[in-house]
Amino acid sequence: MNIVIDGKECRAEHGEYILDVAERNGIHIPALCHSEALPGQGNCRMCIVEIIDNSRRKIVTSCSYPITKEIEVVTCSEKIKKMRKTIMRLISARAPSSDLIKQLSEEYDLPPETKFKIDKEEKCILCGLCVRACGEVGAHAISTVNRGTIKKVSTPFEETPPECIGCGACAYVCPTGAIEIEEHQGKRTIWNKTFELFKCTGCGDYFMTQEQYEYIKNKKGIAIDGLLCDKCRKKSTGEKLKEALCNVVIKGK
Amino acid sequence: MSSGKTQEIFSYTSSILKEYPREQRFLLAILQDIQKQYNYLPREALTIIHEYLDIPMSKLYSMATFYKALSLKPKGKYVIKVCDGTACHIRGSSLIIDEIQKLLNISPGDTTEDGLFSLETVNCLGSCALAPVMVVNGKYFGKVTPKMVKKIIDEFGGQNSEDI
Ligand code: SF4
Ligand code: FES
Repeated sequence: MNIVIDGKECRAEHGEYILDVAERNGIHIPALCHSEALPGQGNCRMCIVEIIDNSRRKIVTSCSYPITKEIEVVTCSEKIKKMRKTIMRLISARAPSSDLIKQLSEEYDLPPETKFKIDKEEKCILCGLCVRACGEVGAHAISTVNRGTIKKVSTPFEETPPECIGCGACAYVCPTGAIEIEEHQGKRTIWNKTFELFKCTGCGDYFMTQEQYEYIKNKKGIAIDGLLCDKCRKKSTGEKLKEALCNVVIKGK
Repeated sequence: MSSGKTQEIFSYTSSILKEYPREQRFLLAILQDIQKQYNYLPREALTIIHEYLDIPMSKLYSMATFYKALSLKPKGKYVIKVCDGTACHIRGSSLIIDEIQKLLNISPGDTTEDGLFSLETVNCLGSCALAPVMVVNGKYFGKVTPKMVKKIIDEFGGQNSEDI
């Protein structure tokens, strides 16, 4: 089906999220808690847009609104801009210490916050992507703890989590850089836990914790042939493919 | 914690678990039962539940810290709940809370050192006509004035424990 985004006709599949269709068509919608790997989070509210369906209008989060009929979408009317600015202000009051949030606050021309009590050190916007990532990996080492104004992301009993395999997925998906991860001389420290890193046999870069390797091999039962980082694996697969293709060509002669 | 106590928690928790099918949806009910028995959720109990229901510890901890009815810290023998909902607030519940704080030397969320009293604020007890309301272990006191607070606490042995 076709939908109209900011006056542009766009092709969309049934059930696709508005945000994805917009991106594909070169229309940028601001988003914080959107991750390609973990779609539909819908927590930060930055990606709001207005949809018009049979002259009925409503505001939805484009990252989690599935398209089911031919609608019209407006991504940056004055109304949306105003609402987005308010949302940005709340997020900035919540996580003033994050570099990305600081940068966005400037872009949105936010005045210094006077109305809300703020924690100057805070970087987390509580979008929950990290918790979901950890769950998808299967480690379930972190979760949201408490509720209301003291809600945060943490580990059980605020202790070093035995379940953590040091994969860094939480820090990787975090939009605001709120999860501390440090890599130093073949060691990675995250959630107060330090891990030994394995070197890639291709390029020699450190890339994976010992625990992560064991986890993939034993728990997930996925065979890992050779310790190759993503880049080297792609390269090696590419080379194998090339070889195979050459063989076909030679045989063909 | 002594091993005797640990043993006791283990057998009580196991007996509770036997009453429920091994499904995660019963988690809250199980936690409520444990909370009722001990006035808090002992860590040992959580460990057993985590193993029995095969539910991540992080999820258990998340739930245990989410609900006001659940607590990870041991609560006092008597739990004082002061309503600070709109009606009670307008009718001076903060004065009641101040008075209790002064008498027992604890802030909301804390327990006295002798383990006798815990103080909590709640957001509405649904008895707004009696505002301000305070409840001690299920016993309701309505239209409370700061002056009445001492008498109520004495009723539960507050004064004696202070004197000793
Ligand atoms: S730590 Fe990052 S990913 Fe996790 S909830 Fe906070 S902002 Fe989101
Ligand atoms: S990106 Fe849509 S709500 Fe965060």
